[in-house]
Amino acid sequence: MNDRKPLYLMSPALMWLSAFMVVPCVLILALAFFRRGLYGGIEYTLTLENLALVVDPLYASIFLKSAWIAGLSALIAVVIGYAAAYAISAMPRKHQPKLLFLAVLPFWSNYLVRTYAWIVLLNREGLITALARWFGFEGELPKMLYTEPAVVVGLVYNYLPFVILACYAPLSRLNPEIEEASRDLGGSGWTTFRRVTLPMTVPGIATGFVFVFVLSIGNFVTPALLGGGQFQMIGNLIYAQFLTANDWPFGAALSMVLIAIMMMLLTAQTFAAERGSGGRTEES
Amino acid sequence: MSEPLLSLSNVTKEFGSVRAVDGVNLDIAENEFFALLGASGSGKTTLLRMLAGFETPTSGEVRLDGRDISHVSPNHRPVNLMFQSYALFPHMSVARNIAYGLEMERLPRSEINARVGEILEMIQLSDLAGRKPDQLSGGQRQRVALARALVKRPRLLLLDEPLGALDKKLRGAMQLELKRIQDQFGITFIVVTHDQEEALVMADRVAILKDGGLLQCGTPREIYEHPQSRFAADFIGLMNFMPATVADGALLARDGSRIAAPLPEGAHNGDPMIAAVRPERLHLGEGDHENRLRGRLIAKAYHGLDLQLHLETDLSQEPILVRLTASEAEGQALETGTAITLGWKAQDTRVFNA
Amino acid sequence: MKSAPLPLMLLILGLTFAFLYVPISVLVALSFNESGLPTAWTGFSVKWYGELARNGDILKAAGNTLIVALASTVVATTLGTLLAVGVEIRRRKGRFLETIIFAPMIIPDIVLAIALLSFFSLLNVTMGLHTIIVSHVVFNLAFVCAVVRARLKTFDWSVVEASQDLGASTLTTLRRVVLPVLSPAVVAGALLAFTLSVDEFIIAFFTAGAGRDSITLPMQIFAMIRFGVTPEINALSTIVMGLSVLMLTLSQRLNRGRLPGQ
Repeated sequence: MNDRKPLYLMSPALMWLSAFMVVPCVLILALAFFRRGLYGGIEYTLTLENLALVVDPLYASIFLKSAWIAGLSALIAVVIGYAAAYAISAMPRKHQPKLLFLAVLPFWSNYLVRTYAWIVLLNREGLITALARWFGFEGELPKMLYTEPAVVVGLVYNYLPFVILACYAPLSRLNPEIEEASRDLGGSGWTTFRRVTLPMTVPGIATGFVFVFVLSIGNFVTPALLGGGQFQMIGNLIYAQFLTANDWPFGAALSMVLIAIMMMLLTAQTFAAERGSGGRTEES
Repeated sequence: MSEPLLSLSNVTKEFGSVRAVDGVNLDIAENEFFALLGASGSGKTTLLRMLAGFETPTSGEVRLDGRDISHVSPNHRPVNLMFQSYALFPHMSVARNIAYGLEMERLPRSEINARVGEILEMIQLSDLAGRKPDQLSGGQRQRVALARALVKRPRLLLLDEPLGALDKKLRGAMQLELKRIQDQFGITFIVVTHDQEEALVMADRVAILKDGGLLQCGTPREIYEHPQSRFAADFIGLMNFMPATVADGALLARDGSRIAAPLPEGAHNGDPMIAAVRPERLHLGEGDHENRLRGRLIAKAYHGLDLQLHLETDLSQEPILVRLTASEAEGQALETGTAITLGWKAQDTRVFNA
Repeated sequence: MKSAPLPLMLLILGLTFAFLYVPISVLVALSFNESGLPTAWTGFSVKWYGELARNGDILKAAGNTLIVALASTVVATTLGTLLAVGVEIRRRKGRFLETIIFAPMIIPDIVLAIALLSFFSLLNVTMGLHTIIVSHVVFNLAFVCAVVRARLKTFDWSVVEASQDLGASTLTTLRRVVLPVLSPAVVAGALLAFTLSVDEFIIAFFTAGAGRDSITLPMQIFAMIRFGVTPEINALSTIVMGLSVLMLTLSQRLNRGRLPGQ
């Protein structure tokens, strides 16, 4: 196969991506530097005011809150996810693929539906309230839906399966003899976990954390549905700029910042992945 | 022997309906270099894991220094294992790998450092103390794995196929090196291996395992010269087998010739037997050999130290293998296709039930 | 197997699976609840599914979704497979190339959505199902490419050389040697793309334009949820979930688990 052939094969797709991904993204980048026209639309004067507005305390606080929510969700997801992945890897080998499949299955269902399920549960007239009443609880339950915790729960719920998958990968590749070696040398179960298993499976945790964080911080659906009207994260803010406030340049500026945050995290994660060592079963 | 260090009494291990280890009885002395020899599936690995504590016997007892350790967990046994894959901690340096076991003993940092430094000197890896395992060669990794286990001064050191991953030349050197280390440290070594040559070279005593059971236990010389079963005779070294029947205090071979040999007790005329003789016990020319065989030379192989001949005979289906020393072969014609006569002593014949 | 205490592991697994499956199970159960309310179970009924079938808006949205999914899958599968083959047979692998290929999967969907909206607006394109289709192809082709590439990584290229050695042209080799081996992966990728398109909300939302004719099912569901919880949503959710799960299980069976990320 000569060297020209690959190019012919790749070009249709690459052209499509250039036209419908690269160009639009560059466009957004450019848009951030223009000004909102008087009646909506775009006034083509170059300006930095959008970027300035982004760091304005009002909007900066939204960024921080989004980061906080995303971080919290990522943390919780990673704790639960790693525990579940560890438990799966502790099961007999022949059951592990099935268990993993079951754990990942919810991830494949529609994420609107998955978020909606929590509305049904947390609603004032939802299932949890119904259960409480069934148990005899009379009083007014604290508000569950349209709160910050609801958004966190929704985010964790949505992304947990992927975290389990990400954490399972390094755990399953671990050479079982290494953990046995630790016990043989006198380490207890907990010490073995703390000093050998955990350090060796950190790349999975990093991948999971970054995944949840990146997807959560730019998330629009979950805060919109579970957070209620008052609740704003970056995703909702961008949505608003484009659909209600009609300030596209500002929306573009916000997106730029979002992408910047994302790129930083991904770079950091690649770094961590390279530092994490092997311990694969194909040793020596 | 005086009170043995390790004593296995009727140790059995079952996995569901599979009996991996079947009623093994064994005593191992202090400062002994012992080998558990067997093919895969013989139960040797399961036995090793029971000694290390990663499996518990279904029945029977394992006693160390007189104490029953059958159900003691691995981290509480004064027994250490050198894993087949070495199982070095990839995220720790050489020094930290070795120190790990001592840290588990909660020794003061100064003592840990001293002992780690000491053993690094002994295995000649002091310069590489800060390196990570993936920066070492296979032979170096093996030394680290060994040091990590030895530094704890266990009562018993178990080695799982220690030389499997090394290339041939290194293997030979390591065999002697392991012997030297065992001697120097005075710790009892138990090596598990499928390589009979390795077992014979390194061990003071060898136990042959088959299908979970102990077939024979003895010094390398005993095992080699006096195998007690056909399997052992075949498994260790090379052996020629000749089917025969008992006849008047001797054996009658397939071609009708008489083979003089020490018969087992209770052998009756007509019993089917197998006569066996080692290739190096067959000789050309003169000598007080009670037995003779005649065959056609079908192949010659020069092996440096010896010359191996393959003969087609009427004594057995398989070709007879002969090993002649260089001096013996000197000056002999030995052309393929020609007839050759060889002799051997009656006392060199082994006899097994067919 | 690890040295961890079994009861603890089973507890962790039990709790995790409960967390994952209770919410969606509740939804499915409610869809068959005669009363449609979580507060009272009045009996098994499929009446809400019947209500769905009578809902014109939903049926239209479902139809639109199908059109979009089919069209974008066909285009994406073709482009994505060609891309995958091209990338894998190329000797020089560039990081730049890899970034572009993986970008659609990494860019937050809201950013891609607004980027496409701006793009179409700038070009004064009237938006509708066609713009949704074009947009869906962008991420779909990246996923198809990933799935096919995963299969290609374990592909024994020496059979291609053998085929050429025996006299076959490049085209024949592709057709008779490469494609038959690749086809399970291609179909798996197509199923994945189809499902992603059916479930996709944000990009569709932004690129559908103002018209009422280009509403997809996820957009419809979103609107319905915003309006308030109704039993029909439960039934619709169950159907949509079942469909995605079915398609993706099929996809995995075909590809034997070699999905991106595994």
